[in-house]
Amino acid sequence: MDMADRRGSRATTGHGAGETERYEKLYAMLLDAIPSSVLLIDAQLHVVSANRNFLEKARRAESDTLGQRIDAVFPPLILDHMDLARRVRNAFEHGEPTRGERMTYRAPGLTTRIYYYSLIPFAWQGTVEHVMLLLEDVTEQVRLGEEARRAERHLASVVETASDLVLSTDVDGQILTWNAATERVSGYTRDEARGRLFSEHCSAPHRALVKQEFARAKSGREFGTAEWDLVTKPGALVPVAWVGSAMKDDVGRVVAIVVVGRDLTERRKLEAQLLQSQKLAALGVLAGGIAHEIRNPLAISSSAAQFLLADSDDPEFRRECAEKVQAGIQRASVIIENLLRFARPGARTDMEPVDLVSAVRDATALVVNQARVQQINMVVELPPDPVRVTGVPSMLQQVFMNLLLNAVNAMPGGGLLRVGVEQVGPEGQVRISDTGHGIPAGEMGKVFDPFYTTRPVGQGTGLGLSICYSVVKQHFGAIEVESVEGQGSTFTVRLPLL
Amino acid sequence: MIRNDTAVLIVDDEPGMCWALGHILKGSGIVSVAATTGQEALRLAVRQRFHLAFVDAKLPDAEGLDLARRIREANPGIRIVLISGYFYGDDPEVLQAAVAGVINGFVSKPFLHDEVRTIARAALAP
Repeated sequence: MDMADRRGSRATTGHGAGETERYEKLYAMLLDAIPSSVLLIDAQLHVVSANRNFLEKARRAESDTLGQRIDAVFPPLILDHMDLARRVRNAFEHGEPTRGERMTYRAPGLTTRIYYYSLIPFAWQGTVEHVMLLLEDVTEQVRLGEEARRAERHLASVVETASDLVLSTDVDGQILTWNAATERVSGYTRDEARGRLFSEHCSAPHRALVKQEFARAKSGREFGTAEWDLVTKPGALVPVAWVGSAMKDDVGRVVAIVVVGRDLTERRKLEAQLLQSQKLAALGVLAGGIAHEIRNPLAISSSAAQFLLADSDDPEFRRECAEKVQAGIQRASVIIENLLRFARPGARTDMEPVDLVSAVRDATALVVNQARVQQINMVVELPPDPVRVTGVPSMLQQVFMNLLLNAVNAMPGGGLLRVGVEQVGPEGQVRISDTGHGIPAGEMGKVFDPFYTTRPVGQGTGLGLSICYSVVKQHFGAIEVESVEGQGSTFTVRLPLL
Repeated sequence: MIRNDTAVLIVDDEPGMCWALGHILKGSGIVSVAATTGQEALRLAVRQRFHLAFVDAKLPDAEGLDLARRIREANPGIRIVLISGYFYGDDPEVLQAAVAGVINGFVSKPFLHDEVRTIARAALAP
């Protein structure tokens, strides 16, 4: 008020020198420095003072502004819009201020400007002497604010309409946000989910790992990727591949964790179909060896039966024959049983405790026939005690079968196939090595890619190893290959122990 | 008439098969010797003259057809019958080997004893 008063007095009275002049100069400087327009208007609606900001914005000189009526200074549109004359009179008559009004004004040929304005009466000893008009151009702020809101809305709708699950948690894994896809897949609304731990939405066997990953992310390390089942509201399990990342503030402190998940249900279905067709393809490869292996005991049984029919008198020989019949049938049915167990589609896809030793033993039993007809020497080293992991038995058996058949196929001219199961630290390891043609160094990176094959068209789908890779990943394990071209390859499957 | 002084070579990695073939031949008064690997069979073929050999198509250390060629080299004039649960009589590989004179006959597993006896009698007829 004071400054307005001083400024105002410059135009009107021009009193004394000394202190007054000093203040006048100071306030004039202050007024000219502020980035808003400030005007003083008298009761006759004349402009008695205008600061530099106003003059510059209005492109007016002080000389044709001061002493002018407001309708000569402001365009009619603004006057009407602000209802300036009435508001000024109101301020004089009732001492009533107008504060923080917004006005949008578009001068012909110019872009729209947005102003905030206030009208504040200045009273001295009970009488309103002037009304101060404060005009602030907020066009830029409004524009920036709108842009920020638009960007925010856009980002929010990107997250909201994403088909992937997108959610955020605080550093302890408590859910903050949860997009529509997550609501759809999980059956929980964001309000139901908010505040709960993310790990509570994961299936029980995965919870410890989930917590571990969040703890890692909290400490600023990479969250990585993982496949954890999401528990839906009705209690079903949905396989989801998750990728998480830590959200950091300007000083690099982790403030939240963003997790994006892809529903793997469809992919799992396709993989199951692929697995089954792979099995059938593997059976085709195995058929020769199996036929050979079954027809041997059949031939022995058949011969023994023919000896019995020929009615030998020797009771010792008759007994020997009966035993051969029995043993031959037994052998053939074991082979058939193995085959059936392998060929049958995996009824269960749930994880359960699996003994790697017996899984590998079953797979080698199927391949041993094929190895024999190819003059492949098979050395199988199995520990006496079970090596227990969690897994889907039929899927793991398929992995070992694929690796064994690859090894057999790599040695068309015979060789040595070594199979070993070992417990190494917290892991169960299955090692399958051959002395076959090996993998060229340049191709090593591609062997797990889908459709990568070195076999002639029609003889290999190029899916065997990619299926192995995917199955082992689903089991939280790793699969590795070492190879020297011309000398052979070793595949190692590592799975976390139960 | 059967020359019972002449032996027959039986090559099969399956001891039960050697047992069966040995007994069939023995029932017809034919002496036989059995080998369960290709290497053992070759050693015998070099040392002894055989008129007939039953050779399994798939051995742990040899392919039956390769072994047949090598036995014939050591034992010219021998009649060789391929015996297998892996091949069929009309498999191209078997037919080709028969045309090329690598083998003189084929028996698929399981077989009738008469089939083996007929082959043996024909091969060993004076």
